[in-house]
Amino acid sequence: MENLQSLLHGFTIAVTVPHLTLMVIGVLLGILVGVLPGLGAPNGVSLLLPLTFGMQPVSAIILLSSMYWGALFGGSVTSILFNIPGEPSSVATTFDGYPMARDGRPTTALATAFGSAAFGALVGVILITFLASWVAQVALAFGPPEYFAVYFLAFASFVGMGGAAPIKTVVALAIGFAIAAIGIDTVSGSVRLNMGIDELVKGVSFVVAVMGLFGIGELLIAVEEEFQARAVSSRVDWKEVFRALGRLPRHSIALLRSAAIGCWMGITPGGPTAASFMSYGIAKRFSRNGARFGSGEAEGIIAPETADHAAGTSALLPMLSLGIPGSATAAVMMGGLMIWGLNPGPMLFVDQKDFVWGLIASMYVGNIVAVALVLLTVPVFAALMRIPFAVIAPLIVIICVVGAYSVSNSYLDVVLMLGFGVVGYLFKKLHYPLAPLVLAIVIGDKAEDAFRQAMLMSKGSLGIFFANRLVTTLVLAGIALLLLPLVLQIVRLLRKPDEAAHEKVRII
Amino acid sequence: MISRRALEIATAALTGIFGVVVVVSSIDNGIGWSSAGVDAGTFPFLTGIIIVLGSLYNMGQGALGRGTLAMVRVAVTPSELRRLAGLFVPAAIFVAVIPIVGMYLASAGYVFAVLALPKQQSVFRAIAIAVATPLALYVVFERMFQVSLPRGALAAAFGF
Repeated sequence: MENLQSLLHGFTIAVTVPHLTLMVIGVLLGILVGVLPGLGAPNGVSLLLPLTFGMQPVSAIILLSSMYWGALFGGSVTSILFNIPGEPSSVATTFDGYPMARDGRPTTALATAFGSAAFGALVGVILITFLASWVAQVALAFGPPEYFAVYFLAFASFVGMGGAAPIKTVVALAIGFAIAAIGIDTVSGSVRLNMGIDELVKGVSFVVAVMGLFGIGELLIAVEEEFQARAVSSRVDWKEVFRALGRLPRHSIALLRSAAIGCWMGITPGGPTAASFMSYGIAKRFSRNGARFGSGEAEGIIAPETADHAAGTSALLPMLSLGIPGSATAAVMMGGLMIWGLNPGPMLFVDQKDFVWGLIASMYVGNIVAVALVLLTVPVFAALMRIPFAVIAPLIVIICVVGAYSVSNSYLDVVLMLGFGVVGYLFKKLHYPLAPLVLAIVIGDKAEDAFRQAMLMSKGSLGIFFANRLVTTLVLAGIALLLLPLVLQIVRLLRKPDEAAHEKVRII
Repeated sequence: MISRRALEIATAALTGIFGVVVVVSSIDNGIGWSSAGVDAGTFPFLTGIIIVLGSLYNMGQGALGRGTLAMVRVAVTPSELRRLAGLFVPAAIFVAVIPIVGMYLASAGYVFAVLALPKQQSVFRAIAIAVATPLALYVVFERMFQVSLPRGALAAAFGF
């Protein structure tokens, strides 16, 4: 009941004219980056981040999270109308969404997608409402060893369940840690890893890194794959919208299952992309109409969309209550929190009640705003797709350059940003995962501090990580996840070689 | 044409070199245990070692042509490379001239060059976008958010 009271209080913060305006702006910008290929939620949020430095934390997070919802919805629009996923997480929506739209039912496809997406988001927000403060309460009892164990678990689950080549994930993580260590060491005060460049003493801001990795890097990927937009009709028939929404409850099993998959993948750092693919695959296997998937089946839209949004939303739960983001976008937002002077983690629920509950309340409102706006603006944004990429690309470059500069008025940051752009391109191209890299840059310092404090407590003995049941369980779970790819590899080798080859094709 | 194998090896070499730099410079900070607890260089040292080992593994996998993307032989075709350079080279020049001519002039020139020279857009439209961009930057950053953007050595020479 206390949660509901706090939530009501949150609504009084979120439902004010300035915050509703910010939500509308955020959602519209979000749909814009979601619709434009080569820009996605993480880029959009990082491009907007420098503009929020002077804002109130609540207003800033409402703006950024609304942008996130908008981007999630916008990505589905292009998937359905153009067969071009605006976001990696809406790739699975193209499988059935585009065939349905091509068959002359674009409104049905869009309404089904938005309806199930809203349901997924709702389940995610409800989960946050009831679980977040409880998780935070548990986490309040954590000491440095427990914290390090939780961080370790988060990193290990990227390796074990992230889906990329495990060693590439490990390298990406370790590079992130090293980048986080650049600059003044918070414990000893000595300067680390500045490689002879004096200006590096201030460290490398994660904003600079994400601007390059996601902004320039994805731009390079997008320019390489020349794309052509061939739209089906983007007219919205309002009666059909309500008919399609009315048909959703018939698929309640698919909705609930997909939402559950989404929430699970969001809290563990599987992320929205993995969630939508997994949900689509499972729906195809278990649905009565499984054989017709791929030819415009409603359940083929419901499954990935519900899971995508459930995962996107619930990724904020560990960010808020533990200080560990569940997705790349959440990692960027968490970096924002730290810049605004907040300390993500359980203390937020004690010190910053207004912030936390304002944000949670804004998720309910923001998603309603997003559904309404995305339906109203489908024709406008569909028309935007016809702006040539050649015009958009230099503008994105300029936004990244100015954004990187404005972090600390440093030209070095701009050069670094461009360097990160090349790294982002190479990593994306060779399937090194970017999310763990960003995660490590954002929370690398905290993980290291936790480790060193734990070592101080135990006078240098690693035994402290096995001192009580909680910490032992966390560490063992982490080690198990780290070893998971190795075990799978061995299992695969023991099976027939041709089966292994099939497996490989499937992974691609 | 760049083969996938070459790209894998080059990227692994890049990450490996970064790892070596991290290892070398963290040794300066001291690694191991001292009276004040874990030394400042220990954590970076370990991450550096992990980067080097992981890079060696990735390089081996890349050279042997194994791993999840083994089927894809060609990473970048010549036409793709041309498009990549078409985006990146002007962007790099743009960044390089910022200290000289400042953000506003550089961005206007960059937009104009990218749009007008390859005949992507009509000259008039290119000029319009090139003028609008720095104006928008000025309004958003200098006016609304009070972030001053670099004006460059040229503007300083004229006494701005």
